[in-house]
Amino acid sequence: MRNLIDFLQRHSYWLVFLVLEVISLVSLFRFNHYQGSVFFTTANDAVGSIYQATSTVVSYFNLKEENVALEAENERLRQELLALKARQRAEESETEAVADSALLPYNLVGAQIVNATLHRSNNLLTINRGSADGIAPEMGVVCSRGVVGIVYLTSAHYSIVIPLLNTSSKVSCRLDSTNYFGTMQWRYGSPETSYVSGIPRHAKVKVGDIVETNGYSDIFPEGIPVGKVTKIGNSGDGLAYELTVRLFTDFATLRNVSVITDYRQPERHELEQYADSLINQSS
Amino acid sequence: MSTTILNRCIRMILLLVVQLVVMNHIHLLGYGTPIVIGCLTMKFHRNASRTGLLLWGFATGLLYDIFSNTMGMGMASCTLLAMLQPALLHLYMPRDAADDLRPSMHSMGRVRYLTYALTTLLLFHITFYALDAFTIANWQLTLLGIGIGTAIAFIFAWLVDLMTNPKAVGE
Repeated sequence: MRNLIDFLQRHSYWLVFLVLEVISLVSLFRFNHYQGSVFFTTANDAVGSIYQATSTVVSYFNLKEENVALEAENERLRQELLALKARQRAEESETEAVADSALLPYNLVGAQIVNATLHRSNNLLTINRGSADGIAPEMGVVCSRGVVGIVYLTSAHYSIVIPLLNTSSKVSCRLDSTNYFGTMQWRYGSPETSYVSGIPRHAKVKVGDIVETNGYSDIFPEGIPVGKVTKIGNSGDGLAYELTVRLFTDFATLRNVSVITDYRQPERHELEQYADSLINQSS
Repeated sequence: MSTTILNRCIRMILLLVVQLVVMNHIHLLGYGTPIVIGCLTMKFHRNASRTGLLLWGFATGLLYDIFSNTMGMGMASCTLLAMLQPALLHLYMPRDAADDLRPSMHSMGRVRYLTYALTTLLLFHITFYALDAFTIANWQLTLLGIGIGTAIAFIFAWLVDLMTNPKAVGE
C-alpha cells in the first residue's frame, strides 16, 4: 500500500499534466470557433459511428421479433394470394361457362394452333384443320375463354386465322350490362389489350363491364365473351367513348381452339345482299 | 525560494512583453511568427519540481493566450513543453552535469545548448502551429510557419543567452 502511495506521489505530475492539458484543450475548443467546430464535427462522427454499431448489435438481437412479424405478414399475403387465385379461377370458369352456353347450339370443330405470331401489327394464326374438315373462310374461331379470330384462308388441312391481335380485324361487340354496341379493333402493342370504339356517350359504362359479341355479324353468335373494360376514354372526335378492354383470351398460351362451322346463315346473307343490290339500283 | 519565484516572475513578464510587443508583430513571409515564451520553460534547472514546472508552463501559456487571443494553444503547448523539458535536458546535458544544472551555453557547451534549444523550440512550435492550423489541408504553410518561427525564436534564445552569460562567447 505504501509502495502504491509512494508511486502515486512520485508520478503525481502525470495527473497534473493531464488536468492542465484537458483545461487547455477545453479552452481551445471553447474559445476558438474553427477548432471547436472541427472537434465537435469529428466527435459527432465518432459518436454517430458508435451509435450505428450499437444499433446494429441491438437490431441483431431484435431479429427474432422481426422474423415473427415477417412470418405473420407472409402468412397474411399467402392467404390473400390464395383468395385472389380462387377469385380468378371463379371468374375464368364463369367466363368459360358463358362461352359454353353461347356456343351450345352450334357445331364446333376442334383445332390446334400450329403456328402463331404475337408481336407484329398484323398477326396471323395457323390451325391444323382445313376445308377437308368443313372449315371455310369467314368462320368464327373461339376458345374456352372467348373469341379468338376469323378464318381468313383455308387449304385442305390447314387454315389461316386473323386473330383479334391484328390491326385489320374488326369484331362487333356489345356491353353485356347495357347492350350498347361498338367495334373492337386492336392496335399494335400489348397482346392482352384491345379497344372498343363507337360506344355512345350517353351509355352508362363502368370499369369491369364485360364485353361480348353482339351477333350482328354472320361470323359470331351473340354472347361470346371477349374481354373486360379496364379504362374508359374518349374517341378522337369526342363524340363517343373508347374503351380499353383486357382480352379474356390469352394468346400467348393459346393452343386449342374451335371453329364455328354452322353459324353462317346463307339465307340471311343472301337476303341482305339482295336488299343492298335493290337499294343500289334504285339510287 | 521566494527570490527564485520572483526572479521567474520577472523573466516571465519580460518574455511576455517581448512576445506581445515585438514577436507577435513579426510575420515573416506572411506566416512565420516566433513564439519565445517557451524559453522560460526551457531555462528551468535540472531536477526542478515536475509539478512546479508544469504549473509555470501552464501559467505562462495562459497569460500569453489571454493577451494574444489564442485561448488554449499557448497553454497546451507550454504545458507539453514543461512535461518534455526534463527528458530533453537529460538528452543533451553533459554526463558530469551538476544536479542543479541551469541550461545555458556556459553550463552545457555551445553545441549541446544550441541543439537543446533548437529541439525544444521546434517541438514547441510544432505543437503550437498544429493546434493553430488544426488541419493538414495547408500543411506546407504550417511547415513554413513552424520553420520560420523556430528559426527566429532560436536566434532570440541564442542572443539572450549570449547577453546573460557573456563568458560563453569565447567558447
